[in-house]
Amino acid sequence: MKKLLDRPFKVFTIFSLVIFLMSIPVYFVVVDWIWRTELDDHNLTIRDRIANQLGQVEINQDDLESILQIWNSLQPTSFVIPLGDQKILRDSIYEITKFNEFEMESDRFRGLRSVIEINGEPFILHVETNLEEAYETLFAIGLVTFFLFLILVFGFIQLNKIISKKVWSPFYRTLDTLSAFDLSAGKEVSFEASDIEEFDRLQRTLSTLIASNVKTYSQQKTFIANASHELQTPIALLKSKLELLLQHQSLNEKESEMIQAIQIPLARLTRVNKNLLLLAKIENGKFEDLDQIDMGEMLDQSLELFEGYLEERELSFHKTYESTLKFEGSRFLVETLITNLFSNAIRHSPLGSEILVEGRQEMIVFKNSGKDPLDEAALFKRFAISTSETTSSGLGLAIVKEICKLSGWSIGYDFENNFHVFTLRF
Amino acid sequence: MKILIIEDERDLVKDMISYLSGEQYRTETAFDFASAMEKISLYDYDCILLDLMLPGGDGFTILEALRSKNKQDGVIIISAKNSLEDKIKGLTIGADDYLSKPFHHAELLARIHSVIRRKQFDPSNQLIQKDLVIDLLSKSVKIRNESLSLTKKELDLLLFFIGNKGRVLSKSALAEHLSGDFADMFDSHDFVYAHVKNLKRKLNEHDYGQYLKTIYGTGYKWQL
Repeated sequence: MKKLLDRPFKVFTIFSLVIFLMSIPVYFVVVDWIWRTELDDHNLTIRDRIANQLGQVEINQDDLESILQIWNSLQPTSFVIPLGDQKILRDSIYEITKFNEFEMESDRFRGLRSVIEINGEPFILHVETNLEEAYETLFAIGLVTFFLFLILVFGFIQLNKIISKKVWSPFYRTLDTLSAFDLSAGKEVSFEASDIEEFDRLQRTLSTLIASNVKTYSQQKTFIANASHELQTPIALLKSKLELLLQHQSLNEKESEMIQAIQIPLARLTRVNKNLLLLAKIENGKFEDLDQIDMGEMLDQSLELFEGYLEERELSFHKTYESTLKFEGSRFLVETLITNLFSNAIRHSPLGSEILVEGRQEMIVFKNSGKDPLDEAALFKRFAISTSETTSSGLGLAIVKEICKLSGWSIGYDFENNFHVFTLRF
Repeated sequence: MKILIIEDERDLVKDMISYLSGEQYRTETAFDFASAMEKISLYDYDCILLDLMLPGGDGFTILEALRSKNKQDGVIIISAKNSLEDKIKGLTIGADDYLSKPFHHAELLARIHSVIRRKQFDPSNQLIQKDLVIDLLSKSVKIRNESLSLTKKELDLLLFFIGNKGRVLSKSALAEHLSGDFADMFDSHDFVYAHVKNLKRKLNEHDYGQYLKTIYGTGYKWQL
């Protein structure tokens, strides 16, 4: 994933690269043009000076020839030659490349050819000035441009960092607050105030949204808790009436069977209701009374109570846990956790298979035989059906998950070698 | 023997009285906090069944009032709140037992028996059913002076049957007596059959009468 600020950064960088690349020929043309005009001006000035000085002196014809000879050999950048038969009336400008013997390289010259008069005779005067090499100029400009570009990109990166740190910091804090938000915790979130309009709007919108969600969620929670609480008395009465009905001497076989048949769904109703109440209690509960819990002892105790059900399903039970498996926790929560996992294993094991409970430091593993892996995503959800069996309340593992969440433990599911494996980590 | 039922759900109170009717207990009722406080200050009871949530007050307050007057009435808390904290709090203040709703009447009766038995300080502490004698302290069972070796669960069941004599006990009531709240987690309680069968067999081996009867389709009944 890209960061928001990296996107304009990339575009800016590409744009400035294009501009810089384009600037190189433009600079070159401009610099070269300045060079040429300056040198042309310079050449004209020299011409004027030479013409002026040579025009003022009186030299006889013979001397003039030898002077011009010496001049021409000493002053290679300007030389005077007789006009002869040529007819040149106007000044002209030219460029010429000459080989420099001292530096062993070719030099570019800007030249001015002009006709001057010496002793009344017309002569051609060449004034030439060394012009910087084109490729050298180009290279220098390119180099400077490249460094400037580097500085610019470096600046962009630094500015990007500073901007994202300063300007975007309220946004990132909002993000952090949001990711830490837990609806089931029932706490509303408070964002840091921001003086930037967009962020302020975002935070206000989020606050409103979250507040209404928290409210709806807690209403729902209260509703479930109240509903299951209200169901308790009718369920208790149903159970009580059925038990009294069972005592009637006049019951015939059919009626007895009917009562028996009513008791099964009633038991399930009791179980679901009890679990809903338990969930509500765990969600609302503060379980701060921590005890030193001997896990091995607790497992043995629940084993004793489950014994009958193990026998009934002909399950063999194997335990491998250390006797020193002790840790701190709420007794009520740990007990609920263990019994839910235990009864889950018993209910879902095929007849005559085996259940293993392994305890190691900081973790307990419940294993029970099974044919196919369960749908892990649905496993810990409320009333999610992960098996075709209908005996479960659909809440047992949701309760386990909730307890783990509350206590900062973790529960995981795996399917290994035809075993359902539930791993509880403290 | 006097029992006071403090419970606001009148229908449930009616059912309890009906279930207890065969016993030698006289039952009185209090449907709210004020009348309960009045009754406990005026009379003594062998056993008080105490609901925690009452119109006008808290069951714990009644229990505290009772114990501060140094009254030794047996108290069984019956609460809809299945909470360990309440249980611990109740037992700490001085309740003798705690039963969470919904419960089987059979279970309640067994608990009442055991509370009253504990309060009576009967030195012999024996339960006699014709030829059968159960010593509650040493947990030994004898038929015509011949020892019977029963497992813990079988003895539990036997005491439960005797405590509920003349009443039909369903499989689920028996399972709940053996496994407590865990029984709630299962639909089938067929394992109870095996234990009852073994118990019957052991009783038969000593030529004990057929007092433990199977009621077809529903459960068992202890009938002398």
